[in-house]
Amino acid sequence: MRSALAYTPRPGALQSASPGAAVAYLGSFVVVSFLFTNPLVLAAAGAGLVLAGLISGARGAVRSALWMGLGLALPIAAINALVVDRGETVLARLGHWPLFGQVDITLEAIVAGAVIALLVVVTVVAAAVYSSCVDPDRVLRSLRPLAGRSALTATLVSRLFPVAAADAGRLRDAARLRGPGAAEVGLAALSRRLLAGSLDRAVDVAATLELRGYGLDAPRVRRRREPSRFDRRFYCAAALVLAAGVAARVLGGNGFHTYPTVELTLGPETVALAALLVLSGLAPLRRRRRVRRRASSAPAPALEARRV
Amino acid sequence: MSELAIRRGAAPALAVEGLGYAYPHADRSALVDVSLEVAPGEFALLAGRSASGKSTLLKAACGLVPHFHGGEIEGRVGVAGHEAIVAGPGELAAVVGYVAQDPETQVVSTTVAAEIELPLELRGDAPADRARAVEEVALALAVPHLLGRTVDTLSGGELQRVALAAALVTRPRLVLLDEPTSQLDPVAGDELIWLLRRLNEEWGVAVLLAEHRLERCLAAADRVVAMEAGMVSFDGAPGEFLAWSQEADPALTTPAARLFSLAGISPLPVGVRAARRTLEASELAPSVPPGSPPTTVPHPGKGEGRQIRPLAASAFSATAVWVELERDEQPHDVLRGLDLAVGRGERVALMGRNGAGKSTLLRAAAGLVDTVAGKLEVPTGLALLTQNPSDYLVRERIGDELPGEPGMAALRTVGLEHAVDADPRDLSGGERQRLALAIALAGRIDGGELPGLVALDEPTRGMDRARKDDLVDLVTDLAGRGAGVVVATHDVEFAAAFATRVVLLGDGVVIADGPAAEVLSGGWYFATEVARVLDLPGVVTPEQGAAALRGEESP
Repeated sequence: MRSALAYTPRPGALQSASPGAAVAYLGSFVVVSFLFTNPLVLAAAGAGLVLAGLISGARGAVRSALWMGLGLALPIAAINALVVDRGETVLARLGHWPLFGQVDITLEAIVAGAVIALLVVVTVVAAAVYSSCVDPDRVLRSLRPLAGRSALTATLVSRLFPVAAADAGRLRDAARLRGPGAAEVGLAALSRRLLAGSLDRAVDVAATLELRGYGLDAPRVRRRREPSRFDRRFYCAAALVLAAGVAARVLGGNGFHTYPTVELTLGPETVALAALLVLSGLAPLRRRRRVRRRASSAPAPALEARRV
Repeated sequence: MSELAIRRGAAPALAVEGLGYAYPHADRSALVDVSLEVAPGEFALLAGRSASGKSTLLKAACGLVPHFHGGEIEGRVGVAGHEAIVAGPGELAAVVGYVAQDPETQVVSTTVAAEIELPLELRGDAPADRARAVEEVALALAVPHLLGRTVDTLSGGELQRVALAAALVTRPRLVLLDEPTSQLDPVAGDELIWLLRRLNEEWGVAVLLAEHRLERCLAAADRVVAMEAGMVSFDGAPGEFLAWSQEADPALTTPAARLFSLAGISPLPVGVRAARRTLEASELAPSVPPGSPPTTVPHPGKGEGRQIRPLAASAFSATAVWVELERDEQPHDVLRGLDLAVGRGERVALMGRNGAGKSTLLRAAAGLVDTVAGKLEVPTGLALLTQNPSDYLVRERIGDELPGEPGMAALRTVGLEHAVDADPRDLSGGERQRLALAIALAGRIDGGELPGLVALDEPTRGMDRARKDDLVDLVTDLAGRGAGVVVATHDVEFAAAFATRVVLLGDGVVIADGPAAEVLSGGWYFATEVARVLDLPGVVTPEQGAAALRGEESP
């Protein structure tokens, strides 16, 4: 079964853009998220990325990323609440725990954990939208002249990952089909078998690369230009988001502290940045061409002539 | 040698002289003193049993042997003027294309367009040249509609065409194919062979094709090279090969040739058309044999009331079963209200094109996929062997896979009780398949009684005829011991050999269901070669055909 995160060609603006433009656009949300701890800015960056993913048709990838991000975020928030005892608002005193020492759950530590978790969710959503919308072949093609060996490794990994996922599915099925009298297959045995199979697969893929001429020291030719009319739009959106983020940060727009007590200030620069982040999520929108149609009430000239 | 001279045919596409080769740490040589030549524009077929050296010879011709696999090599391999033993596979990529059996492992890019373009890009071709070459090869192989798709959304047949396109895009002088049709249904397999023939004629590319199912490609070939134990045992025209194989190795002959041989007709035919012409010329008008079923419908289908209800105890029943799977991010009904019943002791071949729903039906019966509607019953248990037997083998000793008395009972059922201490990797392909079946059966054999249903999914992929005959014996034995046996297969000759009943699926429903002789003698793609030659109802095997030609009762 195909992963929701796998690249799927669609006629979207983000898919048509060059890898550089797409990376700049999606990366700008992540960079701004790392500049701020203000939950409004982080939530806005997440909303902008979700919007961009949905407009680009990557609904499945966004959904998976949100689940995956949530799966990572909850333990982060919980662990932060347990290990950090800073903050003045103590919600619970859980006594002395081995390894942890005195455990006090504070509101500030929970909020700080939630902010880190939000940052993780934003990063995962950005990675998912990238994975689903940016053609890895174009990325590798642009990498190849710069770093041949790295591109070769990336090619092998990008091909072997889905193959290994399919192999794992088949091995799981075969394990379920074993008769009750056969030895049980645990996770360790399955993993060993999968690893051995993956090595065989890697050898086959490497042989195919050899046959395609990967080892050749071919003359370097001009790269094929893959023009996209959306590149400028994404570069502009990325520049705008980054500039606004840096400006808001310089102007003190973070306005959020967790310790010793939670303080949230929503200044105009913070609100403006949040609005800009959400609006930037609309960048992948493609304007639909309006097709001019003849008014249905007016008969076609030929028909009219016949009637006459 | 200049490029122009090679193009004019001055150099052979492949010239092998005294080639000997042994894989690293191998006990014996894989190739022994092999010499052969393939002329430019020739279509040569490489025949031989499993492990006879066919694949190794192909790998030597594209430079993978010895450059990729290592080992010891002697002799000379020339490919369109290049010395293959000196040059590596990368340097040979411009003059030779290679397509392996498993298309999954020979694609390295994410999208079809990038996959086809990759060899040109690595060769350093200019962007405009690459764009044109991709367009042309896509048109030649009828895949332009696939260019924008990702490779993991393609069917086996589509993926094999893409692999062939990537091998041909550099316009090589020689293309090597290692059992490219083994995973394809009869329709896709025939299409691929005739596509190769067309490219061979129009582009002048020489073809060296290794294949087990010779009846599929013999008529397209100019010449046959047979191999045995790493040596060339025959090299000549297809007609001469058939005459030779009758004496030297009958397992290599085609059903039509065996039909003629049994009926005492000569010359032996290289294809269906040649067979029909010979019969017409010799005025041996085939007649309906007395023992054949009185069918008047040339294409038996599942009309109203035609579904077979077995008299024996039920091993499997499906009533209005619907299964929905996701395809291209959309839900897709793979089984659509399917009805089917199989009794104990029946031998059923489940056939149909790729994607018809055969594997899904077996997986649903085993509980690997859920049904969304309908009722599916396996009242007396099921043992399912999926397409890749190696998936069942995870330990290094057979006794560890199958411990205790239940394990030994399963090993006895498949005739492997002597190998309890062996490493599964040391078994032959056929033995590995039996071991995997034993693992599926273990603990399901109750006092010597087998589970009600034993199902095998595409068990003959890459098998030679001798191994298929062994599998026929195994299936017959399992059915004789009371199990209903259902085998999903594309191999019509194998189906004719083992099945008493054939169920043909099309787009998730049963479109034909009847006695094997009846179903396999109606239609074209899902018919045996003998049935296609004689076009007689109920006549599908060479023995039945020979009896019909002699006017005797069907055996």
